[in-house]
Amino acid sequence: MKRKIVSLLLFLLAVLSIRSQQVEYEEYDLDNGLHVILHQDNTAPVVITSVMYHVGGKDRTEGRTGFAHFFEHLLFEGTENIGKGKWFEIVSSHGGQVNANTSQDRTYYYELFPSNNLQLGLWMESERMLHPIIDQIGIDTQQEVVKEEKRLRYDNSPYGQLWPSLGKSLFKVHPYKDPNIGYMKDLDAATLEDVTAYNKKYYVPNNAVLVVAGDIDITEAKNLIKDYFGPIPKGEDIVRNYPKETDISLEERATVYDANIQVPLAGIAYRIPGFRERDAYVLDMISTYLSDGKSSKLYKKMVDDQKQALQVGAYNVGQEDYGMYLVFAIPVGEVTVDQLIVEMEEEVNKMRTELITEKDYQKLQNKFENSFVNANSSIAGIANSLARNYLLYHDTSLINKEIDIYRSITREEIQSVAEKHLKSNQRVILEYLPKEKLDN
Amino acid sequence: MKIFYTIILSTFILTSLSAQVNRSIMPAPGPSPEINLEEPQQFVLDNGLRVMVVENHKLPRVSMQLAIDNPPIAEGNKAGVTSLAGSLLGNGSLSIPKDEFNEEVDYLGASISFSLRGAYASTLSKYFPRILELMADAAINPNFTEDEFSKEKAKLITNLKAQEKDVSAIASRVQNVLAYGKVHPYGEYITEETINNVTFIDAKQYYTDLFVPENAYLVIIGDVDFDNVKALVSTYFNDWVKASPPSLSYSRPRNTQYTQIDFVDVPNAVQSEIYVQNLVDLEMKDPDYLSAKLANRILGASGAGRFHQNLREDKAYTYAAYSQLSDDKYAPGRFGATASVRNVVTDSAVVEFLKEFNRIVKEPVTEKELENVKAEYIGSFVMALEKPSTIARYALNIETENLPKDFYKTYLERIDAITIEDVEKAAKKYFKVNNARIVIVGKGSEVVENLEKITYNGKALPVNYYDKYGNPVAKPNYDVILPEGVTIKSVVDHYLEAVGGREEVANITSYLLNAEAQTQGMTLELNVKKTNKDQFMQDIKMMGNSMQKQVVNGDKGYMTAQGQRKDLSTEELAKIKSESSTFPELNYTDQTVSLEGMEMIEGKNAYKLKVSDEKVSYYDAESGLKVKDVTVVQTQGQTIESTVEYKDYKEVSGILFPFLLLQNAGPQTFEFLVKEIKLNEGVTDSDFE
Repeated sequence: MKRKIVSLLLFLLAVLSIRSQQVEYEEYDLDNGLHVILHQDNTAPVVITSVMYHVGGKDRTEGRTGFAHFFEHLLFEGTENIGKGKWFEIVSSHGGQVNANTSQDRTYYYELFPSNNLQLGLWMESERMLHPIIDQIGIDTQQEVVKEEKRLRYDNSPYGQLWPSLGKSLFKVHPYKDPNIGYMKDLDAATLEDVTAYNKKYYVPNNAVLVVAGDIDITEAKNLIKDYFGPIPKGEDIVRNYPKETDISLEERATVYDANIQVPLAGIAYRIPGFRERDAYVLDMISTYLSDGKSSKLYKKMVDDQKQALQVGAYNVGQEDYGMYLVFAIPVGEVTVDQLIVEMEEEVNKMRTELITEKDYQKLQNKFENSFVNANSSIAGIANSLARNYLLYHDTSLINKEIDIYRSITREEIQSVAEKHLKSNQRVILEYLPKEKLDN
Repeated sequence: MKIFYTIILSTFILTSLSAQVNRSIMPAPGPSPEINLEEPQQFVLDNGLRVMVVENHKLPRVSMQLAIDNPPIAEGNKAGVTSLAGSLLGNGSLSIPKDEFNEEVDYLGASISFSLRGAYASTLSKYFPRILELMADAAINPNFTEDEFSKEKAKLITNLKAQEKDVSAIASRVQNVLAYGKVHPYGEYITEETINNVTFIDAKQYYTDLFVPENAYLVIIGDVDFDNVKALVSTYFNDWVKASPPSLSYSRPRNTQYTQIDFVDVPNAVQSEIYVQNLVDLEMKDPDYLSAKLANRILGASGAGRFHQNLREDKAYTYAAYSQLSDDKYAPGRFGATASVRNVVTDSAVVEFLKEFNRIVKEPVTEKELENVKAEYIGSFVMALEKPSTIARYALNIETENLPKDFYKTYLERIDAITIEDVEKAAKKYFKVNNARIVIVGKGSEVVENLEKITYNGKALPVNYYDKYGNPVAKPNYDVILPEGVTIKSVVDHYLEAVGGREEVANITSYLLNAEAQTQGMTLELNVKKTNKDQFMQDIKMMGNSMQKQVVNGDKGYMTAQGQRKDLSTEELAKIKSESSTFPELNYTDQTVSLEGMEMIEGKNAYKLKVSDEKVSYYDAESGLKVKDVTVVQTQGQTIESTVEYKDYKEVSGILFPFLLLQNAGPQTFEFLVKEIKLNEGVTDSDFE
């Protein structure tokens, strides 16, 4: 009898540990087109209310870059019922945390609260969507703040120009060519009319997803959501028709100078498919194979054995329409940029021409399993994944199934994707060099 | 049955009532959520290692942290040795070669990192026993090799070099040096020289001395079973030999005697890094610890804090302005307020920092502010419980900071009990408004002039200058060195070429200018007429009445001022003639003017020509155009400097003229907008009578 209980316990435990990885959620649309996703987890007294809008750096017209990021700032200025400059105070005085971030593809706003403030979080996000106050004073203030942000993140920071220069090198016509934060002259030129029109076009329920997750009661949450978000009018449908890039078929070279560095950086960059494509998942695996961990190929060779590089990396910067893929190294001592390029290309070439070993393949699978388990470890992380999977990947269930995609990728597929997207005639060589002071 | 109906009905009404939210009212919070403060299970090994275990089976993963809480130690002329010794850890063990070790950790999808202060690993729970074993083995039986040592040395040196121009790296080094002094463990810094002083033997010795179990804690969190952990840890950490670290004491650093600016020049900076700091004697166990933290929270520890609200939301000087108040049981902790601001507002930002700094010490905070920060603290406390690492951290703090056992159990009550007076007392004690260092790292040529003008408590705020390593230096000279090949002729030629050509300029026979400026609600008119026959007339009118008029005609001339007329002396006549020429540059030679160098004018290089004892002119190095005249006049024993800036160049009959003149004399600035310029027309001899 005793033994039976033990085995039953064990069985329960096993079931539990499998189920705990499964993120349960419920999703539906309001009449105004707002998509809602709810996830209940009552283990900690925390709730998150978040809204992801399908608007990012790429959604702009020529001469008006950086608008989505500018709005990230502007939409904290106040609403018809939230006084100017009171947003942060309201959140913090209820023990909450607030932030927002903008990529080329989407903008994400969220409040994290002790769970007795669910209604407050919903009220705030619905206020922002229904009737934010957009006026000249707010525009003037936030223009200056954004300029400081640009100086801090890009102009005054070592290697700060890396990602903007990559966009510039890899894109000729698609809006990804311009920095997400925009050109300051465009922000300066923005009029109140421009800004108001942008708000009306993109910050509407049918272009957004609301996620409520954590210590909630589902029925209560649904009622509150209906009350606060239901009355928000639906916006016009948004048509995106951005110019297509023609394939890069001849190697290009770009040189960038940065006054904040002493040690250069050598990069090989490729334009790759958008992140919904299966090939983009394969490229994630290639990145991990090349540079994640001390036994990864580039690290082992260039940092450890040959001691040519201080740092190496292979990154897949996933984006909706096209991704950017960068393999880079920072040299030690007198090693030149060209030497680093040769060494990196040698490893990339092996990816194109040889199958990775069975053992390395298994290692990749273990690494992806580990990051899958860790990906959904906090309420805030789960909310972000749910919003992203729905809005950008068009499949909310990826939160539980993404690992299956990686599991299904074969060694042969890894080679063929490398051969397809990482050929040397498709690359842009990036020389990122110290800028010497001119006079003083 | 009927009753049943009514109940249903009333529930229906209730729900539909609650559906009518009033969005003009901010929703009130519901009842406070219950919190559940667990405690980790603990045990101690014979060698002194204390182990804490938090079981949490939500996800199939485990993290393990080894923390060695040793007192800080100064490395002196071998600064960097701790960091080097730490980087030699993790290269396998005496029984597992490096490559095999790295390969296995990666293969299991796990990660392990080491330093001389401990180690950290995370893994899926199915590989936990092996990862714990690898971590322990690599920590206790490290595989030190000379080859790795020289490689890490080279990397550290390259890293240092990479940071050489990094404004924030320079800023943090100088802040530490000035706060603690170079011989204190918190003030010393690494250089190429100190790294080169470190030998392989040194690195091994530091490991042997410091990597000991006396002050060590191992915290294991996640999908584990306590008994199993106990068995595994006892096995793998059994060989760690019991020992204590060396205990050294350092003289306690003190605050500066008076508030000052400490400036470091970094010419490539596009922003100034400002850090207002003073040392504090603060430990977690102090009774006023939480009051002090709340005071700092109100002042600047969050986006709702006064610093951020003032410097970012109100003034837009910066992206972020925050302050920290750190506690430390081994040495003084630090109060520090920081912002990166654009060059031109550096002085204004300092003024605002000081204003807020003073206000919190001199005026009590409001009831509302205190209520808000209490809510922030309570909210963070509650929400932190989502992470299993929180209860481990709390237990670790109770041990390492000598806190009462119920420190966290009574935390919310103690926050709640703090009064406005408590906050005021703590502010006075920990924010040293009269003993602060304002460390600024930025582009001196653009910011120093205004920093030296800041006054504090009615007196000029002293400005001291330091190099990138915190050594005192003389005030740098911001005059720019002239590039090779630049001569008076090249500057003049470039200028004349830029405005339209030497010949075209020489062909001007007469010039007429009408401009207007607004001052105190009145319009100031400026009319100028000149010819190439030594004729000059300048009339300044206010509201249509002539205020001041100068007329020169050949060798005669006069001046009227508010109705009074006076003939000009020969001397005055000569001076006006020499300065009144439309393009005096036509006559500049090596004998009459001198090239004085190059300076930054509004962020751009400009050549400086000294055209008389009283006057210098600046020409933009890139465009060639004249950008500024500075005239210094001695009158009644005083030196008065007046400047004219030339902007908004536009073309008139093929020649460029500035259409915006900014005239600055003493405290006054006039902005003259040019309404009209005519060449070779509109001027007759009768204008000069």
